[in-house]
Amino acid sequence: MDALSRQPEDVAVLEPAVVVTRLKPSKLAKIRANYLGAEWILVPDFRIRLLEVDDSNARRRYRLTPVGWNSDMDLGGIKGLLAEQDERFWGELSALTSQAARFEEVISLSVLRRRAISSGLQRGTGDVPPQRIAILGACSLYPLHEILTHFLETSGNPSCLFRGEYDNYISEIMEAESPLFRFKPDVIILLPSLQRCKFTGALTADPDTARAAACNHASGILDLCRTAHERTGAEMILVNFMLPGRHDLGELRSRLLTSDWNFRKIVNLELALRAPQYLRICDLEFLTNRRGALESEDARGWFETKQPCSPELLVDLCREAARLINDRRAAPKKVLALDLDNTLWGGVVADDGLQGIEIGDTSARGEAFKAFQKYILSLKERGVLLAVCSKNDHERAIEVFEKHPEMVLRDADFVAFKANWEPKSDNIRRIALELNLGADSFVFVDDNPAEVEIVRQFAPEVTTILLGPDPATYVSQLQDCRMFEPRTLTAEDSQRTIQYRAEQERVAVLSSATDMGVYLESLQMHADIAVFNHIDAPRIAQLINKSNQFNLTTRRRSEAEVMQLIGCDTVLAFSVRLRDRFGDHGLISVVITEKQDQELTIDTWLMSCRVLKRQVEELVIGELSRAALARDCRRIRGVYLRTAKNDMVADLYPRMGFEPVRVAPECGEYVLDLNNYIPVTTKIMSTSNL
Amino acid sequence: MTQAEVITKLQDVFDEVFLAPPKVTPALSAKDVSEWDSLTHISLMVAVERTFGIRFRVGEVEATNNVGEFADLILLRLKGA
Repeated sequence: MDALSRQPEDVAVLEPAVVVTRLKPSKLAKIRANYLGAEWILVPDFRIRLLEVDDSNARRRYRLTPVGWNSDMDLGGIKGLLAEQDERFWGELSALTSQAARFEEVISLSVLRRRAISSGLQRGTGDVPPQRIAILGACSLYPLHEILTHFLETSGNPSCLFRGEYDNYISEIMEAESPLFRFKPDVIILLPSLQRCKFTGALTADPDTARAAACNHASGILDLCRTAHERTGAEMILVNFMLPGRHDLGELRSRLLTSDWNFRKIVNLELALRAPQYLRICDLEFLTNRRGALESEDARGWFETKQPCSPELLVDLCREAARLINDRRAAPKKVLALDLDNTLWGGVVADDGLQGIEIGDTSARGEAFKAFQKYILSLKERGVLLAVCSKNDHERAIEVFEKHPEMVLRDADFVAFKANWEPKSDNIRRIALELNLGADSFVFVDDNPAEVEIVRQFAPEVTTILLGPDPATYVSQLQDCRMFEPRTLTAEDSQRTIQYRAEQERVAVLSSATDMGVYLESLQMHADIAVFNHIDAPRIAQLINKSNQFNLTTRRRSEAEVMQLIGCDTVLAFSVRLRDRFGDHGLISVVITEKQDQELTIDTWLMSCRVLKRQVEELVIGELSRAALARDCRRIRGVYLRTAKNDMVADLYPRMGFEPVRVAPECGEYVLDLNNYIPVTTKIMSTSNL
Repeated sequence: MTQAEVITKLQDVFDEVFLAPPKVTPALSAKDVSEWDSLTHISLMVAVERTFGIRFRVGEVEATNNVGEFADLILLRLKGA
C-alpha cells in the first residue's frame, strides 16, 4: 500500500506497522511533520525506521512505531540477542548500561558482557587502544573495578585494569619497584582512607589547630598523588571524601572544625583548590549529597567485605570515574540549538501574539521560561554557541527577541537563527555547514516529541533533549544532560559567540569583495606565534581534544601531556593567535614537531575551522621552515592520517608544496625540502618567538 | 510464608541475577554453581533484600551453608525477629 497517498486520517498509526512507499526518508518526515501540525492526528507521533530499499521500482519499506510504544530492549531481550550471537547485542548493551540505575542491573549487564566476549561475539569497532588504568585504595576494589570496566567498555573505551591490594596504596606508590609502576598506568584512580580522614586531637581543640590538621591531611594525599604522577606520568583521579549522614554531634557538628563533618569538608575543599593540572577530582562528596547520605553509607558492607559505600553509590562513583577517564579524549558539545514556542517561552507566538506568550515575572510559568533563558545565557557565557531552530515565520519569531521586554535572550546571543518551515534536521545541518562545525557537536532541545524524533531519525549524530510538558524542569534537564561540561574554562570561551558573529560579518564582506587578495588585505590580520607556555596550555589541550576537521593526525593529548612538551629540547611546539579588524580569534592553531637529525617531523597540526582560507596554513609552513633552518634542519616531514572527519586536509601537504613520499587512501607521508623552498607571502602581519 | 514459598520466590531472583540460573533447592550452595562468585553473591544479596523487603544483619549470611538455611534466615528476618 502507498500509505501516504491515502486520506490523512488513515495515516494515524496506532501500533507498529510496516509501510511501503516511493518516498525518500526526508520526504516522509516532511509529510509527517506537516500532518502533525494539524489536529486530526490521533497518535501524536511515530518513529520511522527504513527497513529495505527495493531498487527495481524505487520502493522503500519503513517500520513506523508510535512514540510511547515500548519497543526498547530489556535484559531478557539482549540475553536473546546474545544467545543468537547477534551483533546488535553490543549497541543494546551500551544503551541499557547508560540507563541502568540499580546495582544488580549493572552487574547483570556486566556479566552478560563478559559472557559475550568469551563466546566470541564480534564487535563492530575494536581499533581503540585500551587505556591502562590502575585503581588503588583503602577499601575493597571489588566489585568496583568490575563496574568501572563495564562502564568504560560499553562507552567504547576499552581498558586494561590494575587493581591494588586492599589498603596498600601508600606503599604501592612509595615503593619504586612496586607492581604499580611495572604496570605503567595511563590513569591512576585513588580512593584514600575515609577512616583515617579525621581529626585525631580532642574535640575541644581550637579551630586553627583543626584547620591546620585538615590542610596537612590534604597535603599528604596531594603529595602521594604527585609522587605517583612523577613516577608514572599517569593522570590522577582522586576520589574525595563522603560526608557523614548521621546526626552525631548535633548543632556542634557544623560549629566545631574538629567534627568529622567539618574536617572532611575542609579536606575536600583543600584537595580541590590545590589540585594540580594532572589531578582530577572524582567528587564523592557531591555524589553522596546528590543521592542522599543515608542511602550512600553502608556500615555492614564495610564490616563484611570492606566496601567503601552502598552498592548504589558505588555505581554513581564508577559512572563518574568512567566519565572522567572518557572525557580526557572527548570534547564537550559546542552548539545548543533551540526551539522557540513552548521552549523559550510559553504559548505559540503565531497564535497568541507578542502580548500573549508567557515569559517574565508576571506568572509562574513565565518565570520558569525566564529562568530557562537565564540558564541558556550562562551557557553562552561559558562558550556554548546558541542557535534557533524553530517552525515559525521568521518575522514573527525575531520580533519577540527584538520587542518583548521580558526576554533575557536577544538576537545577538545567537550565531544562527533558523525560523522557517523546513524539517529541523535539515536546518541543523545547514547551521552546521554555516558554522563549519560537525552536526555531532550539536545538542537540539525541543518540547515536541515529533520534532525531536525527526532530528533523531534524520540527523542521528545530533544529541537531542525532549523537554516535555513542565517548564519548571527545563533548567535541571539541561544541567543534568552533561553535554556542556567544560574540562577547563579559558577567557576565550566567553568570547566565542562574538567571534562567530564577527566571522559572519567577514563572510558578508567577502561576498561583496571580488578579489580574495583585496579581501584578505582589508581584514588587517595579525598573528602571534608562540612556543607552548604554561598559560596557554589549557587552551592548547582544549583545541587538541576538540579539533576534528582541520587536524592532520588527530592525536589527542591531555593538558598534563601538553605541559610535558614545554621546554623539551627535541620538540618544537607552538601555537598561533590571530586577530583582525573585526575581532580577536584567540588561539586558533597548534603545531607540534619533533626534531631528529636534520629533519623536523610534524606530529600534530591542527587549526580551528573559523580561520580557514585566511592563509594561516601558509603562514605556519613559512614560519616552520624558517624555524627549521635556524635549527639546522634540511627537511620537514608531514603525515596525514585519515579519519571520518578530516578529509578537508587530505591534500594539505601537497598544496603547501610538500612532495609525496607514500600515499595511501588512509594516510599519506610528505616531505618538504627546505633547500628549494621559498615561503609564500601572506597578508598576515606576524610576530614570533620561535 | 513457608520455606518452600521462599524458595519459589528465590528462584525468580536467581533467574534475574544468573545468566544460566541453577534450579534452586534447599541443598544448593555457592560451590555448586560456577557463576556464583563473590561478585554475583553481592548482587544476589542486594536483589534478595530488595525483593523480600528485609535487611540481613552483619555476618549472618556468610554463616548459612546452603539455600535451605538461607531461606530460613529470610523467614526469620521476615518475622522481624
